Amino acid sequence: MNTVNVSRRRFLRASALAGGGLVVGFSLSGCARAPLPIDPDAGGWVPNAFLQLTGDGHVRFYCPRDEMGQGVSTGLATIIAEELDLDPARFDIVFAGVHEDYDNPAMGMQVTGGSTSIKAHYAPLRQVGANTRALLLEAAALDLGVPAAGLRTDDGHVVHDGARHPYARFVATAARLTAPQAAPLKDPADFRWIGADFPRLDATAKATGTAEFGIDVEVPGMHYAAVRRPPVAGARLKSVDTGAVRDMPGVTDVVEIGSGVAVVAERYWQARKAADALQPVWHDAPLARVDSATVRRDYEQALAGGAVSDGVDVGRVSGPSRGDVDAGMATAETVVEATYWAPHLAHAPLEPMNAVLRIGDGEAELWTGTQSVSGARGLVARASGIDAERIRVHNTYLGGAFGRRGTLTHVTEVTEIALATGKPIKLLWSREDDMRHGLYRPASLMTIRAGAAGGRITAWDARRVGGNITPDTIENALPGLFPAIGDRGVRWIAGAADYAMANWFADGSSIEGLFEDYDFEHLNVAHVTVDHGLPLTFWRSVGHSYSAFAKESMIDEIAVALDADPVELRLANTRNSPRLHNVIRIAGERMAAMQPAPGRHLGFAAHHSFATDVAEIAEVSVTDGRIRVHRVTCVVDCGVAVNPDIVRAQMEGGVIFGLTAALYGNLQLDGGAIRESNFHDYPLLRMDESPEVEVIIVDSGTEPTGVGEPGLPPIAPAVANAVFRATGQRLRTLPLTLEA
Amino acid sequence: MVRFVLNGTPVETDDAPDTPLLWVVRDTFGLKGSKYGCGAGLCGACTMHVDGAATRTCVLPVSAVAGRSVTTIEGIGTPDALHPLQAAWVEHSVPQCGYCQSGQIMTAAALLERNPNPTATEVESAMAGNLCRCGCYPRIKAAILAVGALAHDATRSEETPA
Repeated sequence: MNTVNVSRRRFLRASALAGGGLVVGFSLSGCARAPLPIDPDAGGWVPNAFLQLTGDGHVRFYCPRDEMGQGVSTGLATIIAEELDLDPARFDIVFAGVHEDYDNPAMGMQVTGGSTSIKAHYAPLRQVGANTRALLLEAAALDLGVPAAGLRTDDGHVVHDGARHPYARFVATAARLTAPQAAPLKDPADFRWIGADFPRLDATAKATGTAEFGIDVEVPGMHYAAVRRPPVAGARLKSVDTGAVRDMPGVTDVVEIGSGVAVVAERYWQARKAADALQPVWHDAPLARVDSATVRRDYEQALAGGAVSDGVDVGRVSGPSRGDVDAGMATAETVVEATYWAPHLAHAPLEPMNAVLRIGDGEAELWTGTQSVSGARGLVARASGIDAERIRVHNTYLGGAFGRRGTLTHVTEVTEIALATGKPIKLLWSREDDMRHGLYRPASLMTIRAGAAGGRITAWDARRVGGNITPDTIENALPGLFPAIGDRGVRWIAGAADYAMANWFADGSSIEGLFEDYDFEHLNVAHVTVDHGLPLTFWRSVGHSYSAFAKESMIDEIAVALDADPVELRLANTRNSPRLHNVIRIAGERMAAMQPAPGRHLGFAAHHSFATDVAEIAEVSVTDGRIRVHRVTCVVDCGVAVNPDIVRAQMEGGVIFGLTAALYGNLQLDGGAIRESNFHDYPLLRMDESPEVEVIIVDSGTEPTGVGEPGLPPIAPAVANAVFRATGQRLRTLPLTLEA
Repeated sequence: MVRFVLNGTPVETDDAPDTPLLWVVRDTFGLKGSKYGCGAGLCGACTMHVDGAATRTCVLPVSAVAGRSVTTIEGIGTPDALHPLQAAWVEHSVPQCGYCQSGQIMTAAALLERNPNPTATEVESAMAGNLCRCGCYPRIKAAILAVGALAHDATRSEETPA
């Protein structure tokens, strides 16, 4: 097991030192295009972008997606290994460099996110594995001088007449053959590794401190950089006296960059101390007039159709609709209306943003843990003027991401610093930098009015107020993904998206999850854009992270109003969503059988997101105003569970990440600056506050769907619904706080 | 010049005495397993043992370990010779992103040194200062309890004549 990472590290080092020879690989479409970013071993065979079989028996898997903890490297290795017929634990895993063959099929870009990786790569990587195995069999038939029909494979060996020949023996012949494009796939009944539980392939590296993260990379001559940025997003530097810090120990350079002032030193601590000693003066920025109370007040005013703060635009658009909501409300026996609030949140991955860049003569090498190596390469190209084809990007393990490592302002910063100083640079953000200078989950105010008749929810009128997630993400992602578009072009496109989503059509990411799951006859969705200018981006489960709280709390409120069982009500209104209906049914049966101890209460919620259906039951107690979640039962249907234990881990993680948001998460603005700075005032759930999580995987036999995010959305409403049963208080504001 | 013992080997550094031990170990001595997470002793990712005690090294000046013995994740086990906790971490597929895990294991190792067979409550209490953003807590707890149970079984089998 340990060889997986040891050899990977050795490989990264070796390729760094060698400067990286390139090999023209076998592209999936069969036509030779740009060279693959693969260093071939002597005698190594690279049948496609994803594999290298070395002459000495190693099999290297070039993982096209980024490992941020979600287990994607194990999952994708398992898929390709199953058809190649090789124990995935024997792969050496390498994170792929930039090449179009590594694009995420779900996006057409080299980006990891949206819980898409297993779903999008399941069929293509099975085919790659099967094609490679077929080629090895053909080569073996030639080398052994026997008909291919008499050969089979077994865990990295071709078996003939009881003799086992390692794949490596046939690599030289296979390299001269043409691979089939559509070799037959295994019957899923014959799967050995897909669906089996075995330890994650990165577990040993991560348990021994040998897994390499971006922060761990070193290159010869490297200096360390720390950056001072404005407390208020968007403010520009007015002046800074750098004289005092230039003489501090180890400091070699102090340079102004686009985002602020960078200090470069021989050691990280020297750079940090010097950056902290700077006293930059910043220009004013519009966001400086905004407090968290301003945001909430403006959202409430906008929802009511009133005026908001000067200089803040309001855009109103209609979202999906069907039937006639007014008529539906008029004929309803019961109408329930409520408004819910979710605050801004930070991602706070435990590894702060960092990057290492070495710029040479017309070429460069970047090391960073990112959700988009191609976006990272584009940003270096844009900031340096170096041809993108001559920039090599090495991805590392990501110390958490949750959406945060898709926006790479730190890559632009490190490029500016390396250019200005002429030194190889490691840029490392502090925790405070991460908390205060990032991009955030938008705050949301959501109102739902629902009408019910005869046990059916007939009318649903949902409205969300807040900033839009997509335009900011476009503005930050376009420069890297499409370096040919100039800065003005980027601003124009982002501005157009911003305007269009405020005034023409709703941003899907901002309203997702608010209305899709139930069989409403009459539906109306509206969106009100109010954006004060705090940078926003995707945050684990995106719009679902807040919309599920509103939607599933409202379903519970309707059940209370109708004096109905909350599970029965959900079952009666999900006839058009059979997979969701099924997880609700299974979870409902589990809940009916539960006998919580005195003082503990159960809450239920279900939600469909990223093509996966999840129902959760939270067992909660409330003591002296403090909410404690003891146990969570999670029923998930994600189709084929490629690695069931990783599915369970993602549900556990989604629940706990979601509980941090439900019980603590509250990022606040004071004069436009983020008030919180570190884990003392932006707390994460701790082990002694963490529930037991039981995960039940429903096998529906469909192709795999997402698991990185779908465990999160149901937990906040499940807890809120349990708190209502415990106390009679309906908590409609996140984080959940009981009235005294 | 500060002299101390790092994973059993005497070392010396001319890093400024106020430099946190974490950076000296990571950047001067090149042991990257201990991580920076908060710089304020709040998350535990930097945990090492100083004279056997689990210590937050992102806020501990290197001068404070002069003449003392420091053990890092690299000092308790390697991929080829895993510490029992590391083996349990693999067995239970504990890590997700993995960034906090060195600190988690070092805190757990110090716990088991002084209490080889802790209860679940004792584990929770000892580990409450080590944050995990991915939410691996149920598995961290299970892995520590499994190692504790092994120790318990070993003790019992020693006590019980064959």
